Amino acid sequence: MDAAERALLEETVRDVVAGAAAAGNGPGSVDAVLGELGWMEMLDAEPRDAVEIVFTALGAANASAGVLDDVMAAALGVTPRADLAVLLPGFGQWDPPGSTGGLLTARAATATEVLVVGAGLATVPMSTVAVTPVHGVDPAGGLHRARIDVDSAGVAGSPLDPAAWDAAVAAGRRAVGHQVSGATRTMLDLARTHALDRVQFGRPVAQFQAVRHRLAEALVAIEGLEATLGAAWDDGTPITAALAKAAAGRTARTVATHCQQVLAGIGFTTDHPFHLSLKRTMVLEGLFGTADAIVLDVGRTLIRTGTVPTLIEL
Amino acid sequence: MQIEQFRAELTAWLDSHHDEVAPPFAPPGTLDERIAQMQRVKGILYEAGWMRWGWPERVGGLGGSPLLRSELGAAMAARNLADPGVYSLVEVLAPTLIDYADPDLAADWVPKLLSGEEMWCQGFSEPGTGSDLATLSCRAVPDGGDPETAQTWMINGQKVWTSLAQYSQRCVLLTRTGTPESRHRGITAFFVDLDTPGITISPIEMINGELEFTEVFFDDVAVPADRILGGVDGGWGVAMSILPYERSSCFWQRIAYLYPRVQRLVDAVGDDDRAAEAVGNAFLALHTVRSRSRATQHRLAAGATLGADTSIDKVLVATAEQTLYDAIRKCTPGVIELDDSADGDIARIEYLYSRAATIYGGTAEVQRNIIARRLLDLGEEG
Repeated sequence: MDAAERALLEETVRDVVAGAAAAGNGPGSVDAVLGELGWMEMLDAEPRDAVEIVFTALGAANASAGVLDDVMAAALGVTPRADLAVLLPGFGQWDPPGSTGGLLTARAATATEVLVVGAGLATVPMSTVAVTPVHGVDPAGGLHRARIDVDSAGVAGSPLDPAAWDAAVAAGRRAVGHQVSGATRTMLDLARTHALDRVQFGRPVAQFQAVRHRLAEALVAIEGLEATLGAAWDDGTPITAALAKAAAGRTARTVATHCQQVLAGIGFTTDHPFHLSLKRTMVLEGLFGTADAIVLDVGRTLIRTGTVPTLIEL
Repeated sequence: MQIEQFRAELTAWLDSHHDEVAPPFAPPGTLDERIAQMQRVKGILYEAGWMRWGWPERVGGLGGSPLLRSELGAAMAARNLADPGVYSLVEVLAPTLIDYADPDLAADWVPKLLSGEEMWCQGFSEPGTGSDLATLSCRAVPDGGDPETAQTWMINGQKVWTSLAQYSQRCVLLTRTGTPESRHRGITAFFVDLDTPGITISPIEMINGELEFTEVFFDDVAVPADRILGGVDGGWGVAMSILPYERSSCFWQRIAYLYPRVQRLVDAVGDDDRAAEAVGNAFLALHTVRSRSRATQHRLAAGATLGADTSIDKVLVATAEQTLYDAIRKCTPGVIELDDSADGDIARIEYLYSRAATIYGGTAEVQRNIIARRLLDLGEEG
């Protein structure tokens, strides 16, 4: 895909996702329009472009979808299907969720089967899974709490190499990282527009250095996150994906804090769309581990192995 | 020469020549020792060809991508063969000469810098001119009054925060040639021999006890007109042209230098969560700027023009450096503050130096102003 093709695709996906999200035609509608655009084929042929473009668009439009399930299924070596959900680890977790239960995305509403990783890899009928919609801070996020104890239920699963689960977590972390990047760009756009429009003390508040520096700080965080995502794709190992997800969690908090302060009163109301992105990133932070948990885990690994790898080269 | 091949061959060469290139003194050593070490290693690396890759053939280089220079600088920093802050002067001064000096003179001079035969410095800041470089007042006047025909210019004024002038043979000097109100339009760059009569160099002690900075005084200093870089009143362009180099290869060296410091921290702490959190945070900040810097250099190598976007790199590198040294101070209490061993000296010198990361090369505040104005397009400040 050359740069012009890529730019065209970004624009198309952004418009389609935003349109479907705004139409609010219920669970599965965003998945449906992405399917028409050839999402499954793109994920198979050009996974990096597909994930970068689609998840950034989801984050930017605050759309909820089930495409994370497709990314996870593909990473686990299972052909993704629109009626297949994947059980994700619980909030803040990244161990295989099989015997503890976990989360399902918006895909839960349309799936007929669930792919579950416990001690092995199993596919179970949706009807056997106890599913409760999550309301929480972000009711529009489409998440569900799910419970199925595959390991003790004796479901015939196939053995799974632990490295395959690590690779799937890495794929999930990169995807969610792009979703956070899209969401934080939207927060920054909203705050920037407000700063230029809002007049106090006789001038737009964007003219005050204190406001400008907050917005600059937000952009630095976002650009840093996007660099770690690029490195994670180039490198392809779990550690760079983990660091990108940690950067995503930190970036979401930094950007939300500065943008909310700049948006001030209006950003504290549901009249303004800022709260939607804020709440979505609060939930995304927990998928595959919070920034604090990942940073602690990485730090422990460095200390226990006694080595500090540079990870990426020129 | 491809970068992967260069990296592999350089690594093998440095491994097999370890004894020859390693510092002949126990770290930290004095600044005199470290400067002598850097010049000695540059000489060895120039002779072996490594120091010539990535530079144009017309100045004694072997050609190839500038990424090769970043790779060499990073290897030197990571192996503690040269301080990145000191070594980076090569990276900012050689391109200036290559782009702006008379081609024959550049061909004579640049190899002296690369091979460690000479050191050069950068005379930009003045007592009244820090972040606002366009207000500089060190004056250059054409002998006879006509800038077109003058054979000699007379320079009067003062520079400050000039790193390593006491070790240098020459200086890239910014002077005022227009009216004070002309700001960036009335600045001219000169390449000045520091043994010219009328120049006085006086070192300044930094908070870490080192004498890296100097004040440089110019009292009727006569400089030939052929030492003007970038034409009369063209000095602002010369100064700005340094930015892409400073923000690419120099940052990559600085980052490479910081990884072994994380290693030192990891070696010093026990397996407890407080230390793990601090180590993890420093590693994340460092990985973030390494990712960003890598992308920036690939853009530069692909022909992109670097500009305001490198203010992001600058903020990230300063943040990572200070996060790391804050973690070191937190996790090894009493070492920086009280330890009188060589390890304590090293930790102290480096920690105190890291406080300047948000000041030199454009303050953190100036970077945020640039990001707000140029990248976020927020209009002028009120």
